[in-house]
Amino acid sequence: MNKALRFLISSSLLLLFVPLLSGCNDSSAPGTGSDPAQTEGNTAPPGRLFGASFQTLNNPFFVDLGNGLQKELAAHGDELIILDAQFNSLKQKNDLSDLILKDVAGIFVNPVNWEGLKGSLLEAQRKNVPIIIVDAPVKESDEELIVCTVASDNVRAGQLAAEALAKVNPKAKLVVLHLSVNKACIDRVAGFKETLQKYPEMEILDVQEAKGTTEGARPVMRDLIGRYPDLNAVFAINDPNALGVISALDSANKLDDVTIVTVDGSQAGIKAIQAGKLHSTSAQFPKEIGKIAAEKMLAHLNGEPVEKDVKVRVELITAENAEQHLEAD
Amino acid sequence: MKVVKQMVPLLAAIIILLLLFRIWVPSFLTPENMLNLTQQISVNTILALGMTLVILVGGIDLSVGAMVALVGTTTVYCLTALSGDTQDPFMLLTAIFAGLGVASLFGIFHGIAAAKTAMPPFIITLASMLIARGCALRFNSGLPMPIKDEQTWFLAIGNGRLFDVVPYPVVIMLSLFLLMALLLHRTRFGQHVYALGGNREAALYTGIPTVRVEITVYLLCSLMAGVAGMIHTSQLYSAEPGSGEMFELTAIAAVVVGGTSFTGGRGTMFGTILGAVIIGILDKGLNQAGVHYSLQYIVKGAVILVAVYLDVRRNR
Repeated sequence: MNKALRFLISSSLLLLFVPLLSGCNDSSAPGTGSDPAQTEGNTAPPGRLFGASFQTLNNPFFVDLGNGLQKELAAHGDELIILDAQFNSLKQKNDLSDLILKDVAGIFVNPVNWEGLKGSLLEAQRKNVPIIIVDAPVKESDEELIVCTVASDNVRAGQLAAEALAKVNPKAKLVVLHLSVNKACIDRVAGFKETLQKYPEMEILDVQEAKGTTEGARPVMRDLIGRYPDLNAVFAINDPNALGVISALDSANKLDDVTIVTVDGSQAGIKAIQAGKLHSTSAQFPKEIGKIAAEKMLAHLNGEPVEKDVKVRVELITAENAEQHLEAD
Repeated sequence: MKVVKQMVPLLAAIIILLLLFRIWVPSFLTPENMLNLTQQISVNTILALGMTLVILVGGIDLSVGAMVALVGTTTVYCLTALSGDTQDPFMLLTAIFAGLGVASLFGIFHGIAAAKTAMPPFIITLASMLIARGCALRFNSGLPMPIKDEQTWFLAIGNGRLFDVVPYPVVIMLSLFLLMALLLHRTRFGQHVYALGGNREAALYTGIPTVRVEITVYLLCSLMAGVAGMIHTSQLYSAEPGSGEMFELTAIAAVVVGGTSFTGGRGTMFGTILGAVIIGILDKGLNQAGVHYSLQYIVKGAVILVAVYLDVRRNR
């Protein structure tokens, strides 16, 4: 029996430990439907609690997005719980129902599985918790269940990349490194191909899957170099992919003959541009996505109408403006 | 009585956790939140019930997560191919049996390979984890496969409620728990499982049909993964070829927190369900208390360590 006692003591000690560590949050989350009646400037009723669920937080993009959300909400005196679904759609579903049952005022979701969110959306609807989708879309049939989607203008990002490439090499023979399970990447490639039609002399030799990672792109690119001796340009769907391409070309001593364009605008990508290894990256602005999503949520709670599909700007980064973007963050 | 006494620390831990989180999150103990907890743990508990049997005979099954995905994709593929836009109970049953059939094939293979060869179960099921994952990804080029809205019966498995109160996943989980507890603690098969896990050679010499027992154990584990896969798929309104990653580890965590010895021969189904409840309370409580996600990992890791350490000490 005294062993059981020991178990009790140690487990309770362990748990008492946690609040000390986190040092947070005794906000008793006042009711959700706080009335939009007071329209005194931008000081909405303070102290509300919001939730966010991301497919992963093992990626600087989502950490930045979360920071953007948090900053904007904090400016209004509100708080935010951020949860990491670890690419696990069941965990995301459970996380969302935890937030919904905690009566948060609103939830931001970056879906793991864009087909699989309906159950959670219905649950939120029953409890009148508004949901905003960030960075990636949901199924069209689910759109009526959400306030809006806030994401980068990925089609535009692809178009910018194509324009940038056309400027330096209007007769490029190029390959595309794709991540075709991801809707954002599908849009990027669609925008890229659309712009390419204006330049009939450019030719896509091949489209290959490269997992959206540096490790994934390297071997794929090495094969492509061998197969297409006249290849002189690459469109990679994100910065990690482009870094893998650079590594493969570098070891084959072909980096100077090939122009690489990509989408992302990460610090690593910008540094590669400054080093002259990458031509351009169409930058996304995750913090801005977060800020705008938070603004839309607050507007919705104030009873203002919100457009369904909010596109956040993208901007081309080349050697000319790389410096300022490096400092910006 | 002995079993009850063994459960005291686990029950005490559950009560303490509930009270702690009640202080922290005022709405924690509401019936709705608790009912939601039981729903959230259902998939993991069902996986853990099967895993308990396998660990009791001194084995391990790393393939259950991939099996969740494969059973889901197989079932949804058959359901869509067979019934299209209409609902037909016969077609639904056929699709479900196709899914469970695939799981059975894997389970029987695991059992035979573990019993008849010298290959360690860790490696056997590691290999079939990769094979099952690969098979799941063959469907729909690895993209999620939506379930048509017309398939209300299949969607009810994960989303419906009995008498509009108890979610079906909870009903299924409790029925399977009763079934497995009876099987393990009230039948000769159950005694054979303990004997096999306690001392394999001795079990063989006493005339226990070790091969048959081992095949049954792995088969049951894969079937449990199959049922969990159905619930998971239904809850997500789609079969996801990439889903279920790491589910095997959460299931193993529930089993060992529940006091089952990793070397086999000792453990109970009741312990496992309590282990799953503890992990479920931690997940929900830390989420609702707004604990930063980085700390959640640390706390969960620490709790598993403490629970298993105390259990090991207690039984030394």
